[in-house]
Amino acid sequence: MSDQLPNDEELDLESPDLDDEPSNAHIDLMPTHEVDEKQLLLLMKDWRRGRATRNLRQAISDGYVAVFTAAMITAMVVSAIVHAQQVAADCSTASCNSGRSLLPWAAVAGLLVLTLAAARMFGPVLASAAEGFWLMDAPLQRGKLLVRRLWMALGAALVSGLVLGALVAALTGSSGPAILAWSAATGLSAAGVTAFAAAEQGAERRWTVKLLQVVVSLAGVVVLVIVVSTAAGWVDIRVTDEFSIRLALILSGVGLVLGIVGAGVAIHRLNRIRRSRLTSGGSLVSGMQGAAFALDFGLVRDILVEREAMERGRVKPTRGRGIGLRALVWRDVQRLIRYPKPLFLLAVSVVVPYAVQALGLGPLNAPISALVLMAALIPFFSTLRVLSRTKGLARAFPYNTGEIRTAASVAPSVLTAIWAMAVIPAYLGVSTEEAGNSPVRAVQIALVTAIAGLLAAIRWVSAKSADYSKPMLATQMGAMPPGLLINLIRGFDIVALVTFPVIVGWSPWISLVIALIAFSILRSGGLDRESLAEMQEDQKRQMEEQKKKSSSTGGGDKVKITRGR
Amino acid sequence: MAKRKTVLKVSHLTKSYGDVVIVDNFNLTVSEGEAVALTGRNGAGKSTILRCLVGADRPTEGTIEVLGQKMSETNPEMRRAVATVIDDLDFFPDLSVVEHLDLLARAHGLDDADALVDEVLEEVQLVPQSGQLPGTLSSGQRRRLALATGFVRPRKLLILDEPEQRLDVEGVQWLGERLRQERAHGLAIVMASHEPSLVEAVGCRIVRVGAPQ
Repeated sequence: MSDQLPNDEELDLESPDLDDEPSNAHIDLMPTHEVDEKQLLLLMKDWRRGRATRNLRQAISDGYVAVFTAAMITAMVVSAIVHAQQVAADCSTASCNSGRSLLPWAAVAGLLVLTLAAARMFGPVLASAAEGFWLMDAPLQRGKLLVRRLWMALGAALVSGLVLGALVAALTGSSGPAILAWSAATGLSAAGVTAFAAAEQGAERRWTVKLLQVVVSLAGVVVLVIVVSTAAGWVDIRVTDEFSIRLALILSGVGLVLGIVGAGVAIHRLNRIRRSRLTSGGSLVSGMQGAAFALDFGLVRDILVEREAMERGRVKPTRGRGIGLRALVWRDVQRLIRYPKPLFLLAVSVVVPYAVQALGLGPLNAPISALVLMAALIPFFSTLRVLSRTKGLARAFPYNTGEIRTAASVAPSVLTAIWAMAVIPAYLGVSTEEAGNSPVRAVQIALVTAIAGLLAAIRWVSAKSADYSKPMLATQMGAMPPGLLINLIRGFDIVALVTFPVIVGWSPWISLVIALIAFSILRSGGLDRESLAEMQEDQKRQMEEQKKKSSSTGGGDKVKITRGR
Repeated sequence: MAKRKTVLKVSHLTKSYGDVVIVDNFNLTVSEGEAVALTGRNGAGKSTILRCLVGADRPTEGTIEVLGQKMSETNPEMRRAVATVIDDLDFFPDLSVVEHLDLLARAHGLDDADALVDEVLEEVQLVPQSGQLPGTLSSGQRRRLALATGFVRPRKLLILDEPEQRLDVEGVQWLGERLRQERAHGLAIVMASHEPSLVEAVGCRIVRVGAPQ
């Protein structure tokens, strides 16, 4: 059969004349042809093209700000790579070099964990709600429609792996051949585990993918600890460039074999995947796409949390403790016991300051570690997130914004304090052969890092979404709500602000003062122009009311007092 | 007979979005033990009035007083006195049905709230779902949970926006009876409703809200 679609005349898509044909009851509904899945896909492609209002050139031309931003970011990444290569040249000791050459191993493990998590969450083979409704029930070979989705998932994993692997290897100062080898290793192994997850999706098995994820996570932590131990000189593991490349090639081979076998099995099982499983991944993607287009990453996370909760479905209820605000704090503690997984991530984040210090990036340790801490702390702010995003539930609690925010930050603050104590030795220089900070300064920097991470997490979870009901800004990319771009730097701004004095070598006390100001603003609900305007309006009204009262009754009061005498 | 205390006083409430006036010069006084039902066509401004009453929206003009104090959404005193079930109620995705009610009761200072929580849970017929997370509830069950949040805490004024929505016939009957009892115990109620049987069961004073201009 030809790939060319018949045109409308050939298909005779004209609707029947209703006057002549009042009913379709006489039409024979028995199919006369078998469905050709390839023709169906071509038809869908044709429809999509027909509905496009702009071509690629016009889209790029209209969105030149985005193109310019992408160019700027690329330039920054290239500059960072060049700088990293220079720093690597300064990494004079053998232990420091070994530590650096081990970092791509940790990166591979990290990316594989993320790939497996994404594969479990989305499918990895998925279908949109529309496809699920219109196509999956039709009498056709589902596998033939889904095979493209499988290739897309594998392609996405491969390309992201190639790019990220190359980036990490380049940033750690690896040689050209090592960069290529690690890029291939990361890309092929990411595609391999995605193919494995797809094969298991067809068999309706989830535990195998979860088990693999746990194993790879543990391997990643072990590698990270080895990186620190090696760089600190605690253990003597000599990793040559040649050995590193050989290992990367072995990983590439394993990834390739896993990818080929997994893809083969997955294709064979595509017909067996349930429709609900396919569309749940599709609806999750579309929901997250919507939130991502609004640059509302808090909402993206909310969707994921909601999905996780729905998968869990039911919990064993526990009785609360305490009354008043203490009840909120105790609930957070009970959450930690019920959902301990984030504690594992927080524990892993403790290694980061040691690793950064060990790799000779001491001056940038505070901001890097604070950003990692921010990411690790976000899951502990469940109460604050829900009570910030909509006012309905917050209104049910008899406390003002500041009291609620303080109570919702108690449990994460205690965890942050423990984290700060655990990383003090990193700033003392125990993970590097070079001299570290004095004990007082080490404590101060650890405190600044921890507070920056904590405040950034508070800012990230409690910031308001862009408001599309307010007046928009006119840009070349179309109308934009004013808060949209600020969403991108939410949390990062606090880290930069609080850690800047430490980076440039000023007194950490300046950082702590900045942190105190930032906390007081965050506690009160942020610097919201609308709220400030409302407060001003309120004060104005109150003054006017008082003026009116005093002008109408003020004289009377005096008379009363006079009469009293 | 002792004069009943005024719980809610709305004076010259006007709400507009740009040139579109949604609510124009609306006045209302509600006393203890009194129930008021706002009725009117879709888009007449009932929900807008309720959003202003709970402080979710700010009136363009006019004043709202609850128990003699100017309405402020963030004032803890107001939050203690006013229980609201309007369209912006959210739930914690990781807490079960019963844990939501327990947390609210405790936050309002009820130390031994088990009996009350159990009673309300049974009333809203969510006992089998007590361990479920909110994301797994049906829309009707979510509505029942939302209503339950209003009954596990102290309250002097209850504001409800179309509480009959998504409830089955039995549920509407239960709600009518429950609100009638609440009224008898001195609670002031303001609700928007399209359900005549509910309005009748509670014994509401009906306030017809006009169309937008």
